[in-house]
Amino acid sequence: MSVDFLHPGEGGAIDTSVPALELRGIDKRFPGVVALDNVDFSLEPGKIHALMGENGAGKSTLIKIMAGVYGKDAGTIRMRGHEVDIKSPRDSLKEGIKVVFQEIALISEFTVAENIFLEGYPTGRAGSIDWKKIRADSAALFNRIGFNVDPAARTGSLPVSQQQMVEIARALAHEARVVVMDEPTSSLTPNEVSLLFTVIRRLASLGIAVVYVSHKLDEVFEIADTVTVLRDGRHISTRPIGEHTNDTLIQDMIGRRIDNLFPRQRGPAGSRVALSVENLSTAKKLSDVSFEARAGEVLGFFGLMGAGRTELAKAIVGYDPITAGTITVDGSRLVPHDTRTGVKLGIGLLTEDRKSEGLMGELPVYQNASLASLGAFARLGFVDKAKEHKAVQDYVDRFRIKTPSLFQQVKNLSGGNQQKVLIARWLMRGLKVIVVDEPTRGIDVGAKSEIFALIDRLAGEGLAVVMMTSEMPELLGLADRIAVMCEGRLTVIMSREEATQEKILNAAIG
Amino acid sequence: MSELTHASAPKRFVGGQLLGSSQLVLGVILAVLCIAISIAAPQFYSEANIIAILRQCALVLIVASGMTMLIITAEVDLSVGASLAFVGCIGMAVLNSTHSLTLGLLAALAFAGGVGLFNGLVVTRLRVNSLIATIGTMMMLQGGVYLFTREAVQNHNQLASFTDLGAGYVGAVPVPVILAALIFVVAYVTLRFTTLGRYLYAVGANEKAVRLSGLRSERLKLFAFVLTGLCVGVAGMILSSLMNAGQPTAGRGFELTVIAAVILGGTSLLGGRGSLFGTLLGVLVLKVIDNGIIILGWNQDLQMVVPGVVIILATYLDIIRNKANVR
Repeated sequence: MSVDFLHPGEGGAIDTSVPALELRGIDKRFPGVVALDNVDFSLEPGKIHALMGENGAGKSTLIKIMAGVYGKDAGTIRMRGHEVDIKSPRDSLKEGIKVVFQEIALISEFTVAENIFLEGYPTGRAGSIDWKKIRADSAALFNRIGFNVDPAARTGSLPVSQQQMVEIARALAHEARVVVMDEPTSSLTPNEVSLLFTVIRRLASLGIAVVYVSHKLDEVFEIADTVTVLRDGRHISTRPIGEHTNDTLIQDMIGRRIDNLFPRQRGPAGSRVALSVENLSTAKKLSDVSFEARAGEVLGFFGLMGAGRTELAKAIVGYDPITAGTITVDGSRLVPHDTRTGVKLGIGLLTEDRKSEGLMGELPVYQNASLASLGAFARLGFVDKAKEHKAVQDYVDRFRIKTPSLFQQVKNLSGGNQQKVLIARWLMRGLKVIVVDEPTRGIDVGAKSEIFALIDRLAGEGLAVVMMTSEMPELLGLADRIAVMCEGRLTVIMSREEATQEKILNAAIG
Repeated sequence: MSELTHASAPKRFVGGQLLGSSQLVLGVILAVLCIAISIAAPQFYSEANIIAILRQCALVLIVASGMTMLIITAEVDLSVGASLAFVGCIGMAVLNSTHSLTLGLLAALAFAGGVGLFNGLVVTRLRVNSLIATIGTMMMLQGGVYLFTREAVQNHNQLASFTDLGAGYVGAVPVPVILAALIFVVAYVTLRFTTLGRYLYAVGANEKAVRLSGLRSERLKLFAFVLTGLCVGVAGMILSSLMNAGQPTAGRGFELTVIAAVILGGTSLLGGRGSLFGTLLGVLVLKVIDNGIIILGWNQDLQMVVPGVVIILATYLDIIRNKANVR
């Protein structure tokens, strides 16, 4: 690694005739999902290009292809006019693309300087690492982006905002032509955000093409030169920011109509309050959340990434500790605050993370289904297997769970069938309130509507369903009322009738 | 997609539920060993030798019964060897001063159960990894026993009932074998047929899922630790009866034999998978190897080497079998 990165082209004219990076006709498929469909994306040197879209629009897939994390199924990538083949993160770095992910990829035990030169330490004579040079070069890099971090500091001891700066300095050390920032402000304070913006503008002035991935409208209007919107894996528009208003951007992001894929079977919600949450706060995320859910209703919670939906779900079932507030299930307070009490009172969570929090992959279907209700099949501590198997078989038939037998290891089932097994787990137990968190995550399109129908049926049978989701169709298709969260707070609760996508998204952006 | 999943799914094993195919591999190994040894040394099949092997198995099987449950919950206890020695000394000391076998036994059980409780609390409350926590306990016990007694605690009373615990017979069967069989059966029934057994598997397979289902996962693990401790209590008293003294140096390496037998039997260190029947086979394989080496007059240092080879081989065979099943 040489020193010439310290002064390339600075102050000189930036040649904008050739795109710094050009992606054409990119396709990417995952089993059951088309993540990207013929997407074009082109970056000018020295410009800040915002990449926008709802959750699931394809933003992350696109930047992961740039980063070499995923391979593309079709399409071409050109760097400054030359076609390149990016097969791994290493290739991507070599071509001069640096992606700063939300999850910072630094080694926290190393010093800042060590991290910056991780891929190639400058060596002195006899092959020993030239620490002096590493420190000096790091300091020079920080100087260039106009930010000051002590190169000798242990990286893990720095706040996220400064770790981002280290990542950016690393990009410069690699002579990056393209820097991608993935939702960089999600955990920053307003002051840190304005500092970050200064640094990003500085990068652009050095001739670097910056991709700014975000769904925060105000930030995009403040920093971007150009905006590209993706939706459902397709390229929707690329326009200079000046041609956009708040409304046109939102329009582009959500444009599609919500099809009535999920015909509602159940009747109107009851009036009995099954769950009441008052002034709930947790140490990390939630602050002062209050709401009620009634028997027979689906109360949908919408929020963007990091809004606190999963945190809320885990807090109200007693899984995660709370710092303030009360939770009342069917008239009884959830005290002590643990899942044992929660399940006794009749509230349970259908987790978003099936593999690590829901399934016992090695164990057979029937044991997974009966986990929460095993006591009901026991006499003097002995399991009445015949009774248990019959009860599980009943749910397998009713939910049309596709499994060769009750003894199949649950890890061998498809995502949709696994989800049905977990729903059966709760129904066998008998709940008053079920909290479902991203119920269709990782489930094939075909199986999705079956899960929707099941949720509809749960509410129809008199359960209160609290549904956390980041998917608009799910929300509008299923919910009786819609609650919107933003940064740990509940911003609004509206009825399905008064809800529009614009209203919901505005409330979610805050 | 789902059709594919079905086609590739492993079939339920054919040989009934008792013999999971990992036990099948082990059963074959055991059979081959027995046949090979008895061809080379026919006295292997004498009644006296079989009784001797069973007696050798008893101590290991008692502790391995508890250990199987513990490992199924995805925890492990490395302090059982050190605890075994300490328990023998304490039991013997109490026996000497009270002249009562009952009190001696109770003291041994209380101490060993207490060690298990301590391990369990450190793991579930302080959230220290069980490997590390129980290595710590092992060191404390290994040092602690010398604070308790510098030399072996001799048997002053020579109570007949105490001597019978290790050396007695009921008919032709040694008392330790009967005790081991009893403990094995209780543990087997618990794991296979009770809700408790099912919860132990569940907690090892996915602790978070168990907690979300309203069960107290920590209690289940704590229970398994205490149970393992109590098994050590029984084994420790049998051992001191056999040696006619409480030996502070006894039980070195015992924990490895126990854990080796459990792993050999197909119980996964990751939790959620395993069976006591496999453990029984594992204990038998290890002890038959021991016995064979002695009978054949081989260098006794091979008693450590050969089981080492067998463990790696058996685990590898198990991996191959799993892969074959998935394809």
